[in-house]
Amino acid sequence: MIVGGVDVGSATGKAVVMKDGEIIGSHMVGATTRPQETARLVMEAAIHQAGLSSIDHLDNIICTGYGRLKVPFAEENVSEISCHARGAHWLAPTTRTVVDIGGQDCKVISLSDKGTVLNFAMNDRCAAGTGRFFEAMARALCCGLEGISALENQGEEPCVISNQCSVFAESEVVTLVNEGTELPSIIAGINISVASRLNSMVRRVGLVEDLVLTGGCSKNEGLVRALAAKLDITIEKLPVDPQIAGAVGAALIAAEKAGARG
Amino acid sequence: METDIKSAAFQKFVEATGSIMNPEVQAWKDQGRGVVGFFCSTVPEELFTAAGLLPFRMRGTGSTSTELSDAYFSPINCSFPRHTFNQALRGEYDFLDGLVCINSCDHVRRIYDNWIRALETPFVQVMSLPRKVGEPQIDWYYDELNILRGQLEEHFGVQLTDQRIGEAIALQNQVRGLQKQLYLLRKADKPPITGAETLAVMVAGTAMPKQRYKDLLRELLGELSEKRGSRDYRARLMILGGELDDPAYLEIIEKQGGLVVTDSSCFGSRLMWRPVDEAEPDPIRALARYYVRDRPSCPRMYGDQPQRIAFTREMAREFRVDGIIGERLLFCDQWVVENYMTDLDLKEDEIPFMALDREYVLSGEGQLRTRVQAFLETLEARGN
Repeated sequence: MIVGGVDVGSATGKAVVMKDGEIIGSHMVGATTRPQETARLVMEAAIHQAGLSSIDHLDNIICTGYGRLKVPFAEENVSEISCHARGAHWLAPTTRTVVDIGGQDCKVISLSDKGTVLNFAMNDRCAAGTGRFFEAMARALCCGLEGISALENQGEEPCVISNQCSVFAESEVVTLVNEGTELPSIIAGINISVASRLNSMVRRVGLVEDLVLTGGCSKNEGLVRALAAKLDITIEKLPVDPQIAGAVGAALIAAEKAGARG
Repeated sequence: METDIKSAAFQKFVEATGSIMNPEVQAWKDQGRGVVGFFCSTVPEELFTAAGLLPFRMRGTGSTSTELSDAYFSPINCSFPRHTFNQALRGEYDFLDGLVCINSCDHVRRIYDNWIRALETPFVQVMSLPRKVGEPQIDWYYDELNILRGQLEEHFGVQLTDQRIGEAIALQNQVRGLQKQLYLLRKADKPPITGAETLAVMVAGTAMPKQRYKDLLRELLGELSEKRGSRDYRARLMILGGELDDPAYLEIIEKQGGLVVTDSSCFGSRLMWRPVDEAEPDPIRALARYYVRDRPSCPRMYGDQPQRIAFTREMAREFRVDGIIGERLLFCDQWVVENYMTDLDLKEDEIPFMALDREYVLSGEGQLRTRVQAFLETLEARGN
């Protein structure tokens, strides 16, 4: 059986094609202003990568993410909470807590040993702890998102960034820049600040190991280290790009639903 | 509002809930009768009814901006007082003959200070509701109620006799009884009324003459007793929270497939689940006990969380609730801590709980839908 999962997020679109429980294609694109277009672009690319000629070869497609209501070729949509949970648990079966750090929100999901969602928390009406936060900081530092990853971990003493509000944190960063503080120190401070925010969310839901990170920001190694230190745990990397975990989950749910249909 | 309830009574409720001034209030004013606005479900509206006045619970319905009120409030004040005061500054409350504010929370009580500076309403008072729920606090509120009684008598030139107050209590208790009957219909497997529709009925009860409302509500109950709910739903939900007067918020939840079958909220069951004691010979004493201690309380009251969670559990059991959503207005310090405690307590009962933050004026529908959908998926996964 060949199935697809597409995750139309606020910043990127992700798609995964699976055949008999194996990933045979995946792709990511930047989000366009039309979610149906983002979904089409990314799904076509993933299908092509899987060596298939057309979407018609897929037995079922599930979509998720903020644009999930706008995807014409998916039969059903499932929330990104369920998809990240399913994806992370399949990729790492010992997972009991998922922290997904996406473009415009972050969520902490608590799982049972079977991978079902027990509880979850999301940041509400606030950019703190999201990709947008990092984008704002990168703007203040004139270094781009890649710069944030590249410049961290240069052994500098981290600055203290006390504001978790992205607007005020940006002002704080601008002050540090103007005082002549080295960029790696500021970036380390930013990562610690986001990790603090995630730390309280994890504690609110209740930490049960193993904990894994999904979403685009989980590729920021400085952030992962800062969070691991705060929680006093080891955070293992997923065996695939953590940004596609939601699309993997969507594909798994697509397979399950197609299987149930027979 | 999408509805399959046909009665004219229900349409009148929807109309009253969807605006501030409505035809029922207008008709009352046209008869030369007075209207007193009040904040919070702890203000004894029975006293206004006894004085021949129409009690009108303050809302910011229809507001789209806080640009006028933000000159008085800050962006980190709760959006409920900001929108409501903005509506007042726009003249939407010019029909009021009086206003009674209360220290329900620090955001809401500041409306009093701003109101007397900015607006010309002839009779504006502020009450002091105690924080604890013991006998000394009942005595305190008893004094407050007697002070308000004197102020109303003096300003409006009426005699607030015990008999009149007793009659107003009896009328309000009858309304409470009918509202409770409406709630009890929702225990059915297929309730004849949704949560959004119920909220419209409840809010209307704070925005029209009591006797008229009672008659219309009785008419609606007659229709609903014949009606069988047709709506399919994925889960039975309870709403827990404070100031929620917008049925559209519940409509979004219900469109995802979660039928709201009960609540503990201050335009909901906490208004009416228990009656005021009519056997108490001193009606002011009865009101003081009711508003301080006997009605289901909200988190502004100190030391009463065990009673609140007991009420939540009782409602969840009686209405066979699959999950509870705690809604909280952003920046509300009362509810944020309460929701955390509720989450921990409900884990003992294995009742799933989700806390949601919201703004007073509906916004961020996409986020709301995502959370509700995920919550319903979680409930379904438990059931499988």
